[in-house]
Amino acid sequence: MHWPPSTNHMQKCAKKLAFEFKNDAAALIPSLQYLLAEITESIPPGADAEDILFRCKVIITELLTNAIKHGGNGITLFDIEADADQLRINKTDHGSPLYLINTHNHSATDNLANKKLISADPLNSLYAHWENENCIRFISEESSIEDFLSVEQVMEHFGILIISRSSDEFTYNYDKETQTNTFKVRIDF
Amino acid sequence: MINVVKEGEKYLVADVTITEANLSNSDQFKAELVNLLDKHGKIIVLDLQELKYVDSAFLGALVSSLKYAMTKQLDIILVDLRTDIKDLIKLIRLDKVFKIYNYPEDALAAINKSYAEVR
Repeated sequence: MHWPPSTNHMQKCAKKLAFEFKNDAAALIPSLQYLLAEITESIPPGADAEDILFRCKVIITELLTNAIKHGGNGITLFDIEADADQLRINKTDHGSPLYLINTHNHSATDNLANKKLISADPLNSLYAHWENENCIRFISEESSIEDFLSVEQVMEHFGILIISRSSDEFTYNYDKETQTNTFKVRIDF
Repeated sequence: MINVVKEGEKYLVADVTITEANLSNSDQFKAELVNLLDKHGKIIVLDLQELKYVDSAFLGALVSSLKYAMTKQLDIILVDLRTDIKDLIKLIRLDKVFKIYNYPEDALAAINKSYAEVR
């Protein structure tokens, strides 16, 4: 669905929503507000709604930002699905693949070799774990700040880190046949 | 986007006047902040009470500006943050590099104390 929402483009089931985002910065906040309002209705009683909405807010903000930066002039699809245990947010576009996708030869036998450090500073470390040739799972860890030397060492790109740190699982898939990028985020209730 | 509301011997207090800080205005935000550092050569106490939405591009601009401030032996201090923005900063541990206070007065007291100790 483009912003503003049009019921013609929305297929909304009980706890499933398909949303088309036009890759335009002016639509970022209205789209974020709309999606958060929809997610609010899906949070089961007993779950920490404030924490889940905070995590959703920062994750969706970064996914929308990513769409604006890398999705070109097209449309980015958001599929949001919730059940009693989990919330899943999928973002799909046909922009250029993530730079990491062709930087590693996946090993079917050596799982350790499939995990690589992709950025690190005195505060945080970010790893990519190749689940297969076209699927990367992101993992973030807090760095030891004992060796902290200078603010100069702190990185300035936080998008993937924010999503990784806010979610219970965060993966990127690239379908070479359809040239489709899909970011998948899971939040456990 | 950044409005100076108070100036002391060692500091400026400046309000961020936008409610949404994202990739569409992060470059301008950084440019204004760097300009203030160049023009005044003072610690900036940045009041973020108007800010409701931020993204990684804004946080990147903030870190980049702090690095610039540090090269001039200055600082950027954050005050009056909404809870969720403070939580986001803590989430990626930027609270380890930014001094954060609830109110501008708290930041000014810390600055004055710091200079009193140096003297």
